[in-house]
Amino acid sequence: MNVLIIGAGDIGLQLGKRLSKDKHDITMIELKEDKVKRASEQLDAIVIEGHGAHYGVLQQARLENAQVVAAMTDREGVNLLASKIAKKAGVPTTIARVRNPEFIAPDFILKPEELGADIIIHPEKETADAIVRLIRQSSATHVIEFAEGKIQLLGVRLERGSPLLRTPLIDLARRYGDPPLRVVAINRNQQTLIPKGEDRLLPGDQIFVICDPDYIPKFISYTGKADTKIEDIMILGGGLIGQFVATCLGKEINIKIVESNAHRSEEIAEALPGTLVIHGDGTDIDLLATEGIVDMDAFIAATGDDETNIIATLVARHLKIPRTIALVNKIEYLPLTPTIGMDAVVSKQLLTVNAVERFIQHQQVTTLASVPGVDARFVEFVAEEHHKITRKPLKNIQFPKNAIVGAVMHGDQMIIPRGDTQIAPEDKVVVLTQTEALEDVEKLFQ
Amino acid sequence: MHFSSVIHILGFLLMFLAIAMLLPIPFSLHYGDAVHFQLLFSAIITFVCGLIGFKSTRFERDLRPKEGFAVVTFGWVSFSIFGSLPFLISGTIPSFTNAFFETMSGFTTTGATILTDIESLPEGILFWRSLTHWIGGMGIIVLSLAILPFLGVGGMQLFKAEVPGPTADKLTPRITQTAKILWGVYVLISAAETALLMLGGMSLFEALCHTFGTMATGGFSTRNASIGSYNSAYVDYVVIFFMLLAGTNFALHYRFLRGNFKAYFRNREFLVFFSIIIAATILIGLDTFLLRYENAALALRKTLFQVVSILTTTGYGTADYEQWAFSSQFILFIMMFMGGCAGSTGGGMKIMRIFILVKFVFSEFTRLLHPHAVVPVRIGNSSVSREVATNVVGFFILFMLLFVIGVLAMSSMGLDMATSFGAVAASLGNIGPGLGKVGPTDHYAHIPLIGKWVLALLMLMGRLEVFTVIILFSPSYWRK
Repeated sequence: MNVLIIGAGDIGLQLGKRLSKDKHDITMIELKEDKVKRASEQLDAIVIEGHGAHYGVLQQARLENAQVVAAMTDREGVNLLASKIAKKAGVPTTIARVRNPEFIAPDFILKPEELGADIIIHPEKETADAIVRLIRQSSATHVIEFAEGKIQLLGVRLERGSPLLRTPLIDLARRYGDPPLRVVAINRNQQTLIPKGEDRLLPGDQIFVICDPDYIPKFISYTGKADTKIEDIMILGGGLIGQFVATCLGKEINIKIVESNAHRSEEIAEALPGTLVIHGDGTDIDLLATEGIVDMDAFIAATGDDETNIIATLVARHLKIPRTIALVNKIEYLPLTPTIGMDAVVSKQLLTVNAVERFIQHQQVTTLASVPGVDARFVEFVAEEHHKITRKPLKNIQFPKNAIVGAVMHGDQMIIPRGDTQIAPEDKVVVLTQTEALEDVEKLFQ
Repeated sequence: MHFSSVIHILGFLLMFLAIAMLLPIPFSLHYGDAVHFQLLFSAIITFVCGLIGFKSTRFERDLRPKEGFAVVTFGWVSFSIFGSLPFLISGTIPSFTNAFFETMSGFTTTGATILTDIESLPEGILFWRSLTHWIGGMGIIVLSLAILPFLGVGGMQLFKAEVPGPTADKLTPRITQTAKILWGVYVLISAAETALLMLGGMSLFEALCHTFGTMATGGFSTRNASIGSYNSAYVDYVVIFFMLLAGTNFALHYRFLRGNFKAYFRNREFLVFFSIIIAATILIGLDTFLLRYENAALALRKTLFQVVSILTTTGYGTADYEQWAFSSQFILFIMMFMGGCAGSTGGGMKIMRIFILVKFVFSEFTRLLHPHAVVPVRIGNSSVSREVATNVVGFFILFMLLFVIGVLAMSSMGLDMATSFGAVAASLGNIGPGLGKVGPTDHYAHIPLIGKWVLALLMLMGRLEVFTVIILFSPSYWRK
């Protein structure tokens, strides 16, 4: 598919890299010369220097050939205008990134089709939502939702002494009476394994589980962890993400925001009446100590600077704060974070790329998400009558070794598949697959 | 430096070369020249060496610029070494130096030959000799990009290092598609020329060999007297037309074939290229029309042929231009440096670079008069970035420096001035025939041994546009 990406900033570039790997043909438009250069060095794509909302530039980028236009600059005006032009020129799918939350509010005066974009993506909001999920599910390293929240993926790190260790998965299932959950991936020594029934869990493993939402508390208790009750949170950085988190959690939880910019501190203080805003440098440990960081239940580092976030989180972990969440945008840093003891990490870039990718079909396949640090991806297939996979129960189907069926959406109902489950036509099948097995999995849906 | 990745790709390229070596075998069998076993044997040796290199190594990750330069340069060198096997094994060119010179001259589309009697060679070997042109013309890396799926972003590094011209433009988002298109256009035009030459009475064998020589702007012929031996206006004009096509940016052919019929005359570089041909033909014509040939039609045909042949760096001959006036010879000599358009199969410095250079110099005049003026270097409607302009200036200096060093080396081996100038310009510009004792009716057999190696190196530098090769000689390249 021809995809035209406007803006070769961090988000645009990462999106380009992912889509290029998925065999899409990428054309990019970027205004700044240095970013044009960076993108053309790192990407097998045509990169055009120019303004993304100028029709001449868009024509030069062969707008008429594009099936998808994704406007990812950090200026929503440019993004929306470019989408509108693209829509008028007959591009089937347009995606625009915005920063102002009003655009995605249900009572906004302009309807999405009037804005010109088929899909509006709000990276800061997506990121804030991910942080909120991690606060609510405080023992998880990842909480990712699919199918409008009907399927949840949890990532949990197993400590020494967890009762789940060293027993084959198949025996664990028997022990707990076939619970409605499935271990779909294990991260061990920075490698991702797709487990089979006879595999055992080891201390230090990070396991990924697709679970019936109602069963989550029970599952958490089996891992030997207890969800800590969170009452006080300190948020470092009062940018959009910090503000969204504060707005969302402000009613139930006490929130302190530490912001280094005096002017912005005052603005936030006015906008968020229930929140205590502290003006100061977030890496100043004395200041954090004075503000009682040791008494906090959770610490969220959400400044715009990855390095500050990482250092501040390490400080917080050193002070034994039960729950720390760090915003780390550079995708290159993500594989490092577990090795330096950071558990829950959220990446704006990755979340945005995931969100966009969900709308761009790879043949008949929709990729749902990539998970940071996991060398595999979730893909959704819609089964049809003539597909191989619908002919026999799962246990009789030769399923590729590096892939696993995580969940099946039968109408509105989520099923955790077992060996005797037979997939019916029109079921949505969520598969976790390593990239090399993707083709083999696709064959089952042909 | 990741030697593993480099050797992996080189191994793959050699296996590909081995398959190409099988192509002359049908002709060898048809003409019964008894070299088919030697060709097969060369192909097997090449294939096994390639396979060992390919299997014993692994492609580790995306290529960095460093590995890119190594792959391209060593790729061309190893092609020339293994490509000389058919000559050596068949005994047609027994000395390794001569065989390597001939093969390097083939792949770099130079067309300089050490053979004194071409017609005495077996057809299978002659076909291989011309085929090296065709493979080298569009480029072995571009070919490998079209068929190697695993290069990814690193492919652009290789593409830039091999494709002629100051900037390498993609026609499509993916580099593999661009490579496929370029080779597709190349094959298509080649097929057209072969058909037209056969209509003019050539056999399939001769038509193919001369097509390879024309489309690659090479210059190897199957006849001692080159194209001149056919003495046919039809053949001359067909070859002139296709030399012009070969010297033009292939991206323009692609646009033309896609229905953009104004593509050629909207392109500034092509217009300059075309104007140079007309101007040179008129200037040399003043001499040839009046003094050399009995009628104007013949003079035009001969003059145009030599002008196009030299400017596109093909090097086919229908006339001995050393009989012409010195001023005419000098015009041809200057054109040896200019070469074809960027993105063509031609050699030389490329019209685009000359054009940018001239524009750059004129922009300096404006700057002198108006010290605060902002003067971009414009080509048509777009301006050339400062970075590209300085690169072009650097390239020009390096090219001239190599020329000077080359002439110094050749003349110190006892060659006369005209021969030294001609041989170095013809090698560096990938033309073939030069001046003096290496003129259009001569050959390179008498050049001293070391001289042949120097010229072979100059051919490689000329084809890969200097930087790609010379960077391997810089100490900072080998530092970690």
